Amino acid sequence: MSVALHLLIMVIALAGWSWTSPVSEPEPRLISARLVSPEPRPSPVVDEQDQRDLEQERRQQEERERQQEEAERRRQQEQARQEAERQAQARQREEEQERQQAQARERAEQQAREQEAARQRAEAEAKERERQRAEEERRQQQEAERKAEEEKRRQEERRKQEEAERKRQEEVARQEAERKRQEAERRLREQQLEALADQSNREREAEARRQQEAAAARAREAQMLTESEKYQSLIRERLSQAWYPPSSATEDMTARLQITLLPTGELANVRLVSSSGNTAFDNSALGAVRSLTRYPVPSDRDTFERYFRQFTIEFNPQRLR
Amino acid sequence: MTHNAYRQGFPFATALTALVLFMLVAGSARAELLIRITEGADAALPIAVVPFAESGAMPAGDKVSSIVQADLTMSGEFRPLDPSKMLSLPSQRSEVYFRDWRLLGQRYVLVGQLNRTGERVEARYELFDVNREERILGETAGASANNVRTLAHHISDRVYEAITGDPGVFSTKLAYITLNRTGDETRYRLQVSDVDGKRARVRLESREPILSPAWSPDGKQLAYVSFETGKPVVFTHELATGERKKAADFPGLNSAPAWSPDGKSLLLTLSKDGNAEIYRLEIASGNLTRLTNHWAIDTEGVWDHTGRGIFYTSDRSGGPQIYHMERLGAEPKRITFGSRYNARARPDAKGEYVYYVHQRNRAFHIARINLKNGEESVITRTESDESPSVSPNGRMLIYATQQNGTSVLTVVSANGGAAYSLPAADGDVREPAWGPIVR
Repeated sequence: MSVALHLLIMVIALAGWSWTSPVSEPEPRLISARLVSPEPRPSPVVDEQDQRDLEQERRQQEERERQQEEAERRRQQEQARQEAERQAQARQREEEQERQQAQARERAEQQAREQEAARQRAEAEAKERERQRAEEERRQQQEAERKAEEEKRRQEERRKQEEAERKRQEEVARQEAERKRQEAERRLREQQLEALADQSNREREAEARRQQEAAAARAREAQMLTESEKYQSLIRERLSQAWYPPSSATEDMTARLQITLLPTGELANVRLVSSSGNTAFDNSALGAVRSLTRYPVPSDRDTFERYFRQFTIEFNPQRLR
Repeated sequence: MTHNAYRQGFPFATALTALVLFMLVAGSARAELLIRITEGADAALPIAVVPFAESGAMPAGDKVSSIVQADLTMSGEFRPLDPSKMLSLPSQRSEVYFRDWRLLGQRYVLVGQLNRTGERVEARYELFDVNREERILGETAGASANNVRTLAHHISDRVYEAITGDPGVFSTKLAYITLNRTGDETRYRLQVSDVDGKRARVRLESREPILSPAWSPDGKQLAYVSFETGKPVVFTHELATGERKKAADFPGLNSAPAWSPDGKSLLLTLSKDGNAEIYRLEIASGNLTRLTNHWAIDTEGVWDHTGRGIFYTSDRSGGPQIYHMERLGAEPKRITFGSRYNARARPDAKGEYVYYVHQRNRAFHIARINLKNGEESVITRTESDESPSVSPNGRMLIYATQQNGTSVLTVVSANGGAAYSLPAADGDVREPAWGPIVR
């Protein structure tokens, strides 16, 4: 350590010197580096309490010695330092030169290296780019394939969906139709039931009404019948007097005539509805019916309408002369 | 379950009840009043025979319309209106006012026109039904001027048929026997006339009795019994030529001839075998077949309407009664029971009635029996009636009866409704025979 320290100091002294003496001429290399300083002696180990005076004295001694040595050594050191400095300066210059050469070399090398590196880099980069491009292409192709696949899949999916949708809609429509049909059937059944119920009600009501009406009608009819019988016999009498059965008449001959009268008793129409098969007989009946200018008819309009508006006269001789 | 069934059945029962009710109500509502007329007027049918308009000179004598009126009157079925009561005298349709004729109570109106051209008279005539206001007949017919009676009878026939449905018989002939006594002269005459007794012509005259004239079916011959030979002999007599033949001149009685429907044979009553029996004589061959065989008198045989059986008179029951032998040789059946005397059967052409002389309370009438029900009814009111003869249409009957001490002919409608005496000829008129319709 101390050696390195001394050395350093010497270098610094030399350098300093060199720097102090502006002698520009570099020192010759004859006095190159020489170890100058002796080996440092180890310091005696003395107990501090016991040896203080002694130590004091001795330390003075030593101090003087040391100061001498020190002066000496400083002078030497100065010399060494100057020498070293000079050498160092030369070395420094050499070193600087070498350093600069090395630096230049280094730089060239560096440059070449850099060029190589750049080339390699460029190459690598090109390769990388190519790789990347290929990669990209492949990726794009894959992507396209994937997309196509995807598209196909989607289309299939869509088709399936559409099919499913269509089927679903069909099913819905079918179900709707079925529902409507069932609804219609249900409504029809309800209507039928309703109609049946209505009809039944109506029939019951109508029956009740009919029974009432029938009772009233029976009473009225009995009255009208009595009245009508009177006029029937009057008409029979008049027609008997007016009828001249022809000589060809036989007892099995029957002619039926339908008579239509006016309320005044006048004959509105007569129609032969059933011939006797004998023209003369039919004519005799027609003549008899038409010969009455006024038929005896009831004044009661209902009785007239009921019995005498239209009726049938049958001519059938029971006792021929 | 029963309850359920009842509930289910209820609507049906209701418906059924309703239906029945408805049918009752509707049925009674629809059941039209029916009035049955079973009897006609007792009176004859009123008809107006309007005097025909004439153009050209008409032969003297009865007018055509008058003859027609008389014919229709004689039938007993018509009651022609007296022309003096007519409100108008139409001769064609445009002049006929139905209301007027209706007011007069007429059922039919006959109008017509006569046109004489040369020796011919032509009639245009129309018959109207007053109540129906319809023309039921419209024709033309002609005859020679001296034959207007023939024309008139033809019109009568047409009118009669148009109204009654039966053929008229006014153009047929009558045959009958007259008896005249002038001093101690007795004349029997066989005469043939129109049905109204007009245009009578003597076909045979004899001092001896002539009996039982009978018409051949074609109306060309008569068969009769003549005593001119001193005994009854059956003759056939061709009218057109006057040719006579002895048809039956057997020992004993030859009497009561009657022609068969085919005109080829005669039924006769002969006593050649000792007792009066009925025989059939085939005219052409003279073959004789005995049809009855009985100890009693069988006589007055006549064919029934079928032409297969005969009616005849027999006193096998103790008095004369009428029997029917339905087939020749069959067992005869007695058909008259109403009195002790029923004789001289004359069936009509339809097989409905048989007319005969019927004694009741010592009087003789003409009666008829309804073959369907056996009902016998007297149809004449006169007494001493004899010799009935039915018109070919079955609607009229002619017979002889006594009037004021003389024998006359009377025509009645077959139902006895009306009587019409033929104009009295001189002396007695007997044994009428109504001739057939000759087409």
